Parts: sequence; C-alpha cells; structure tokens
Amino acid sequence: MADDNKVAPTGNDSEGVQKEQNSIPTTKAQRSAKFITTGVKIGGNYIKHYSKKLFNPDLDRSELNEDNAADIYQSLSELKGSALKVAQMLSMDKNLLPQAYVDKFTQSQYNAPPLSGPLIVQTFKKYFGKNPDQIFDKFNIRSTNAASIGQVHEAELDGKKLAIKIQYPGVGDSISSDLKLVKPFAFRMLGMSEKELDIYMREVEERLLEETDYELEVRRSIEFSTACSVLEHVVFPKYYPELSSKRIITMDWLDGQHLREFLATKPSQELRNQIGQALWDFYNFQQHELRAVHADPHPGNFMITPEGNLGVIDFGCIKEMPEDFYYPFFSLTSTNLLDNKEETIKAFRLLDMIHQNDTPAQIEFFYTQYKEMIELFAMPYINDHFDFSETAFFDKLYKFGERLKKMPEFKQARGVKHFIYVNRTNFGLYNILHELKAEVKTDTYKPHVVLEY
Amino acid sequence: MATTESIQNAYIDFVLTEGMQPKSVYIFAKQNEMTEAEFYQFYGSFEAVEQSIWADFARKTLTEIRTQEVWGGYTAREKALSFFYGFFELLKGSRSFAVYSINKQPKGFSTPKVFEQLKAIYENFADEILKEGIETSELNDRKFFSKRYKDALWIQFVFVLNFWINDNSTGFEKTDEAIEKGVNVTFDLFQRSPIDNLLEYGKFLVQNGGIKDRMGF
Repeated sequence: MADDNKVAPTGNDSEGVQKEQNSIPTTKAQRSAKFITTGVKIGGNYIKHYSKKLFNPDLDRSELNEDNAADIYQSLSELKGSALKVAQMLSMDKNLLPQAYVDKFTQSQYNAPPLSGPLIVQTFKKYFGKNPDQIFDKFNIRSTNAASIGQVHEAELDGKKLAIKIQYPGVGDSISSDLKLVKPFAFRMLGMSEKELDIYMREVEERLLEETDYELEVRRSIEFSTACSVLEHVVFPKYYPELSSKRIITMDWLDGQHLREFLATKPSQELRNQIGQALWDFYNFQQHELRAVHADPHPGNFMITPEGNLGVIDFGCIKEMPEDFYYPFFSLTSTNLLDNKEETIKAFRLLDMIHQNDTPAQIEFFYTQYKEMIELFAMPYINDHFDFSETAFFDKLYKFGERLKKMPEFKQARGVKHFIYVNRTNFGLYNILHELKAEVKTDTYKPHVVLEY
Repeated sequence: MATTESIQNAYIDFVLTEGMQPKSVYIFAKQNEMTEAEFYQFYGSFEAVEQSIWADFARKTLTEIRTQEVWGGYTAREKALSFFYGFFELLKGSRSFAVYSINKQPKGFSTPKVFEQLKAIYENFADEILKEGIETSELNDRKFFSKRYKDALWIQFVFVLNFWINDNSTGFEKTDEAIEKGVNVTFDLFQRSPIDNLLEYGKFLVQNGGIKDRMGF
C-alpha cells in the first residue's frame, strides 16, 4: 500500500510478506499436529540455545525466547481463528510475557492469512441471496486485512467507502477445541496453575463465543457508539444492520493510521495527549457510566484519523461488570477506603482475593500484596492528571508482576473471574497510553465509590 | 405444450409427493396432459429425466458463476471452489429431490447412471480449469498423474455431495467448510510439492550419482 494514510480498519499489509496460505489445518488431529510440530521446533530451539551456551556462557535467553515466539506465532497464525485470538490476547499482557513473545504476538494483531474468494461470494449469497458485486457498486474480493476470526474487505456503495468484515464458517465450533490445544502452551508460557488457567479459559471461551456472533456485535456497536457519542475526539464508523448478518458486518470505512504507524510519524505531544485523553475517556466512560466495557484494547482495534480523532472499530468483545464486582473493586481505587484496613479486607473477601478459610497470617500476607497492587493500579486516579510516559510507574508494575509470579502463594487461583477482562482492559489501556507517552486528565469520568460494606 | 423444464418439474413434483417413480410413462403423461409421444420427444425414459435434472444443476451453476464479475480474475483453484459453492447453493433449492435421487442409488464405486451427464459436464469444466492452471504453472504438470487430476476432483465432488446429504448444520455451514478445506487440499496436491523435488533429486542421483553402477544394476 503506497499511501500510508489510507489503510484498512484492522491492519495494514505492509508487513505482509507472509506467504498466502492455501490450506487451513482442518481436523482437530491436524491442528494438534500443527502444535506438535511447534513443540518439536521449540525443543530444537532449546537444543540450539544450550549448545550455543556451551561456548558462550553469557548468552542470555532472549535469543531463545525470540526463536520460540517466532515458531509459536507461525503455528498460531496458520491455525487461524480462536488460537490466533488467544495469541492476540496473550500479547496484551506485556507484564506477563517476555518482550520477544510480545513483539511476535503483536504481529498477529495485524496479519493472518486470507480466505478464498469464492467462499466470500458464497457467504454473501447465503445471507443476502446476491453476489457482493450485486450488492455493492464496488467490492474488492481480495481482503485487505485479517480480523482473526474473519477478514476485512473494501467496498463502495453510493459513493461511500465501506469496510466489510466476513467471518470464517465454523469458527464457533472450533473455539473450544482450539482452546484445549492452546492450554498446555499458555500453561507453560504464563506459568499459571492449572486451576487458575481453567477459570481463565472458561471466561475467555465465553467472550470468544460472543465474538463470533456478528449480529450481536452490530447491535452492541450501535449501542456503544451512540452512548459514547458524547465523548470528544472519539469517532465511530456507521454500522449498516441491513447489510450485516450472522457472519457479515458492514460499516463505514475509517481512514487513518494504526497506533504504530501514527507513532512513526512523530506526532506532537499535544496530539498524543489528545489521542490519549480520548482513549482514557472512552474506557472510563464505559466502565463507570455504562458498566460494560470494550474489553479488547489491542492497538489493531483503533485508528487515528487524519483529523486527530480516535476511531474505534471493533466491539466484538464486551465485558459487562456486575455491581457485586464493580463496587468492591473500584471503591478500592479511592484512598479513603484503602486506608481503612478493615473495610479493605472486607472488599478483598467480596472479590475472592482473600478466601474464607485463610489463616490470619495469610490474610495479612494477601492484604499487603493486594493493597500494593491496587495502589499501583489506582495511581493514575489519585491526582486529577497522570503522565503515562513515566517509565518508573511501568517498571514498578512490571517488577510487582514478576515478584508475584515467583511467590508460591500466588500459584493458587485467587480473585473473581471478572478480573481477567477488567485487568486486561485497564492494563491494556495503560500500555497503549504508555506507548503514546500521553499526559491525561484522569478526573473526567471517575469511579463510583462506596466507602463501607 | 410440454418443455424439458415442465417435464422436469412435473417429474420432481411426482417423485416427491409419491415417494417413487411413476409406474409408467403413460400414467405420467396422462396426469400432465400430454401424449406419450410428446414425452418421448424430450426424454427416452424417467432415468433420462433425472439425468438431465442433475446435468442442468451443473449447467446452471456454470452459467451463474461465469457471469460473476470476479470470475476472470480467479485462479483454477478459485474457479473450482466457486463451482462447488455455486452448485451446492443451487442444490439447496432442490434438496428434497437431491436426497431422494441419491438415496435410491445403489451403493458402490461406479458412478450412478443418473450422474452420467453431470459427470461429463463436470469433467469438461475440470479439464478446462486444470489445463488453464497447468498453463499458468499454478498447478504442476506431472507425467501420468496430471491426466488423473480431474478424477481426483470428481471424487472430491462426490464426497462433498454425500457430506451435504448428511449435513444437519444451520445453513449447511459444515458443507462450506468441507468445500473450502477439501478443495484446497486437493489443489495443494496438484501443486508443486517437496515430493516432486525429492523425486527429481532421486532421478538426478540415479543418472549422475553412479548409484546404478555401485548397486550393480
């Protein structure tokens, strides 16, 4: 693509050296075979690493990690579908993964191999009884980007440029079996306990299955974009329910750049702050006013328009927050509550962070750890503004995460399942803001707080 | 005045309501207000009617997919995919008849009589796209084997047809998957693959590596 200002909503193909994939591993057996190959390759990478280390004892693991990440990414992107989704998800948790994994996985947010043209035509015929070229004035049969469980095509109707998202058939069915395949890898990579992973996987499965329902996504997109229309510098494409179906979404094409491309243009601090503020407002308005949040803050879901607005293009993943989670959790962000040890412990109990049968020593231990975590998490909320370019804050977060990982006490599952997406959302947001190096007014949409239980 | 189409439709209507073939051409003609002679002007037997119904599915599919704007830009692989999707989309409208017609065929390896015309049209089409694919070197021209490519495509077709008959998924989504994956795998086999390189390497070694002498051939 020559003109960098005009890229498709979910990615660009400038990195698309990736070979066009002509077959997708079909059966579970084939998919497993794919993973086994990866396993073998990773084994090979270790052998390579240790044989090199024999001669050069100073060699650190980053080359090894990089090799592994490349192989895992390769196999995930050939699998397509939900496995890729998990790759995307893992890439959000920079705190949990070594940098090399993150870099490779971030690629998956932009590219995946395409589906066949005739299948696209078939999907249209099935849902609308017409070929795409009979519905639109122009329709590009070659997809511009992959959207992990589908792909995006460019079209034109009545002089309007449209983006058409088309889902691969049978995605829903393969999600559960894909997740089972990913599990051993995630287990090893995240170093989580089996039980913890189970809770995680179940919640993830639920969200992923929702994401395959494009009718639901269109409804939500319209709902959320209407509710969020009060926000400044946040724009949404218009959705066309009459041109959408269970596996097709039609929306306006948003011109703009992805975060990484945007940053490459060396935008001014003022512009970065504007985008950062839009992001902050977008997320906090949803969390605290709508109590349901766009829970997929990966950079591929945003476009920065030429006017300096933040375009939001994917409402596939929405996390609703029930009151019995919202109030105990967000009330903790208020210093007044966190200073009151008794009330804080009550809140921790409500959130399942401290268990019924914990000993007083355990209660003390988890209270201290979680208090520190919440304090870190709530830092941006303490003053009326926060500078996300501050590396010190992120270093502290990262170090804290590292420390927790090493503590045997945390091998056990703690915390209600809602944490998975809420944490992912907020830390994802923090990460994007950090990449933007934005300074943000954080008192625009404040958490609602209850001081006593 | 009867036409091939009116006879086809009347025949489909009859077998689906009665669950079997008409007892005789006489009865069928009488019911549809034509003479027996008129019927024979178009078809020699009921079997011929059924054959032509299947053949027409293929013809209609071909006409339909060839008018699609994207057709010209398709590779051989995509043309094959397009035929499969188009055919089964069309067949959806006559699923009851298709199920009836297929289920009464004897199980076996030979092509059922009712498919004969359809197979001829299909193979014609397969030949055309395969030749095209070989010319553009999208597909690999292999001695002996490239002539059998179209047989592989026919087997693929019969497989998907049987898959579709037993498919209970909403909108026959599973069939779409079977097509996308099956046809792609078949075409992957037609493409140049590591096996070809291996064979060629073997040939080279035999000719130049002196293996023959050493092995005492």
